[in-house]
Amino acid sequence: MACSWTGFVLAPQLQLGGLTQTNTVVVGDALAQTYPLPQPGEAHAGAEIYRANGCAACHTEMVRPSALGSDLQRQWGLRRSLAEDYLFAQPVMLGAQRVGPDLANFGRRSDTNGIFLRLYDPGLITRGSVMPPYRFLFETRKIGLFPSPEALVLPDQDAPPVGYEIVPRPQARALAAYLLSLRQDGYLFEAPPPPLPKTNAVPTNAAPAAAKPAPK
Amino acid sequence: MSVTVSPASTISSASLPSEQASAEAWCPFALLTLFAGAVLWLLASSLLGLRDSLNFHNPALFAGEGYLSYGRVHAARNAAMLYGFGVPAALGLGLWLLCRLGRTQLAGPAVVFMGAIFWNIAVTLGVAAILCGSSTGFDGFEMPAWCAPILFVAYLMIGLCALLTFHQREPGPLYPSQWFVVGSLFWFPWIFSTAALLLLYVPARGVLQATTAWWYAQNFDTVFLGFAGLASAFYFIPKILGRPLHSHYQAALVFWTLALFGSWGGAPEGAPLPSWIISLGVVGTVLTAVPILTVATNFYQTVHRDVNTLDADPTLRFTYVGLIFWIIAGAQQIVSALPGVSSITGFTWFGAAQKELFHLGFFALTFFGALYYIVPRLLGLEQGAWCPKLLKGHFFLTFFGVLISYISLVVAGIGQGILLADGGNSFADVMRRTMFPVRCIMLGDLLVALGTILFLLNFAGVLAAAFRQCRAERKGRA
Repeated sequence: MACSWTGFVLAPQLQLGGLTQTNTVVVGDALAQTYPLPQPGEAHAGAEIYRANGCAACHTEMVRPSALGSDLQRQWGLRRSLAEDYLFAQPVMLGAQRVGPDLANFGRRSDTNGIFLRLYDPGLITRGSVMPPYRFLFETRKIGLFPSPEALVLPDQDAPPVGYEIVPRPQARALAAYLLSLRQDGYLFEAPPPPLPKTNAVPTNAAPAAAKPAPK
Repeated sequence: MSVTVSPASTISSASLPSEQASAEAWCPFALLTLFAGAVLWLLASSLLGLRDSLNFHNPALFAGEGYLSYGRVHAARNAAMLYGFGVPAALGLGLWLLCRLGRTQLAGPAVVFMGAIFWNIAVTLGVAAILCGSSTGFDGFEMPAWCAPILFVAYLMIGLCALLTFHQREPGPLYPSQWFVVGSLFWFPWIFSTAALLLLYVPARGVLQATTAWWYAQNFDTVFLGFAGLASAFYFIPKILGRPLHSHYQAALVFWTLALFGSWGGAPEGAPLPSWIISLGVVGTVLTAVPILTVATNFYQTVHRDVNTLDADPTLRFTYVGLIFWIIAGAQQIVSALPGVSSITGFTWFGAAQKELFHLGFFALTFFGALYYIVPRLLGLEQGAWCPKLLKGHFFLTFFGVLISYISLVVAGIGQGILLADGGNSFADVMRRTMFPVRCIMLGDLLVALGTILFLLNFAGVLAAAFRQCRAERKGRA
C-alpha cells in the first residue's frame, strides 16, 4: 500500500508538483513565449460544462508520440502532449477512451460556429456520428426586432418554425470558449519542432528560419 | 465449522441476555441491507448501461434532456456500479466471512445497519447529482465532492465494526480469506481519502490529478474488489467441496504479490508523464501474472478431479466461472499493458471490455455465488429455499450477458485499434465500421439486467419464506 502510494502519488508530486510556466523553444525568428497561459474566464466556465456533461467519457485530451499511434499523423496536434500543457487545467480530464476524436488541440481546427453546429446536431458535421446532440444547451425563441447574430443556420430538417431562431445558451458559449482554448501549440524542450528537411529548397510550410542558407 | 452468524428466525430473546439478543437480531438486517442495496444498485447500473447502449442505436433519443445525456449517464452508471454495488457487496461479504471464520458474532450490527443506510442514501444522492451535472470528471471517482465525506463516514462505521469483529475472533491461525478481507478493509479508506484530498479538496497541480485518478481506479479494481472477490473464492470452493485449500503458502503469495504489483499502474502508455511512471506501471501490471498463475494453480490443485462439481452447487458454479473470468481479465490487462499492444488497443473499447469482465464477470458472479450460500443461512432456511428455475435463469442470463458484452467490446476494440493505427483511415469512418459490435453490447446489458431481476424475485421469495417461518415459530411458541 505504502509502496504504490510512494511510487505513484508522492514521487510524481515531488517531481512534477513544482512545475511552473516555461519558455517555448525558439523556432526561426519567432521569440520565445511564456507557456502555457492561464485559460480565460469563459473557457474556465466551459471546462465546468465539459465536466458536468461527462464529455471525457468519449474524448481524450492527450496526443501520443508518433511511435504510439497515429495521433500526430491525424494532425490532432503539432507534437506529443506534455505535463506542462495541463498546468492551468482544473480539473484535468485526460479521458480514457476515444469514441470521438482527441480534443487536445481542438481549438486549432475548429471555430465557434462549427462547435455550435456540432453540439446541436453532430450529424450535420460528421455523417453517421454517434455523438449525441446537446440541444438542451440551446434555446428556441421568437425572433425579436433583429435576428441574433449567433442564431444557428440550419438545414431545412433542423430549422426552427418560421419566426423563431435557435440560439446558444450561455452554457454552450462557455463550452465553445473552452474547446477553442484547447491548443497545445508551444514547442517545448521535451518536444522540439521536427527537424527541417535536408534540402536547399524552401519548404512551403516551414518557419521563416528555414529560408536562411545553412552555415558552411 | 460452526455457524456463528445467527439466523433471524431462530433468535430467542428468552435464551440470551437482552443486549446479545438485540445484537443478534440486528445482524441479519445489517448484512441483508448491504446485500439488497448492492443488488438493487447493480440493477440500476445495468439499466443505466442500457440507456448508454441505446445511444449507439439512436444518438438523438434524449437530445433535449441534459440529465439523460450519454456522458452523465455513463458517469452515473460507473458510480452505481463501483459505489452502489462494489463497495457494499465487498463489505457485506467481508463481514460475513469475518464472523464465520472468526467463529464470532458481528460487532455493532446496529452501527453496521446505520452505516449501510447512510451509504445507500449517499450513493443515491451522489448518482442523482451526477445526472444533474455534478460529476467530478474523473473516471472511477465520479461522486461529487460533498458526497465523499458522507461515504467515508458511512464506510468507517461499517469498517470499524468489521475490524472489531475480526479482533474478537476465536484464537487460532488465520485462514487466507481473512487476510484478503482485512486487506481490502484497509485498502479502500486509504485510496479513497488520498483521491478525495488530491482531486477534490486540495487539488494536485496539473497532470498530477490524472496520475492520482489512474492510481485510484487501478487500486480500487485490482486490489480492493480483487481482494474481496478472492476472499470469497478462497472460502467457498474448499468449503463446499469439503476438502482443504491446496496451499496456504500459495495463497499468501497471491495476497502479497497482488497487493504489491496490482496497485501499480493505471496510466496509459503515451500519457503526458515522465517515462518512469508509465514503465513502472507496465512492470507492475506484467508482474500480476504471478498472482494470476498462482491462483489458477492453487484452485486447480484444490478442485483437481472434481471439475464435474460445476453443476453440483450454485455457489460453486458462480464462483468457478467468476474465477475464470478473473483470470481472463487479468491476462487481458497484462497483454494490453505491453508496449506493442497498448499502442494499438489504447483508448479503444478493449479497455472497457476488461473492466466489464472484471466488474460483472468476476466480482458480480463471485458475489452472487456467495449470496446463494449466505442468505438462506442468515435467515435460518435451507439452501433449497431458492427457486431452482430462477437460479438457473439468473446464472445463464448473467453469464451470456457478460460474455456477449465482453466479446463485442473486444472485437470492437481490436478492430478500432487496427484501423486507427493507419493514419489514412478517417476517425469517423473507423467508428462507423466498428459500430456493429458496439451495438451488440445492448443485448449483453439487457441480459444482465434481466438476470438481476430474476435474482431479486428469487431473493424476495426467500425473504417471504423466512417471514412465514418466523411467524409460524411465533405462533408455535404462543
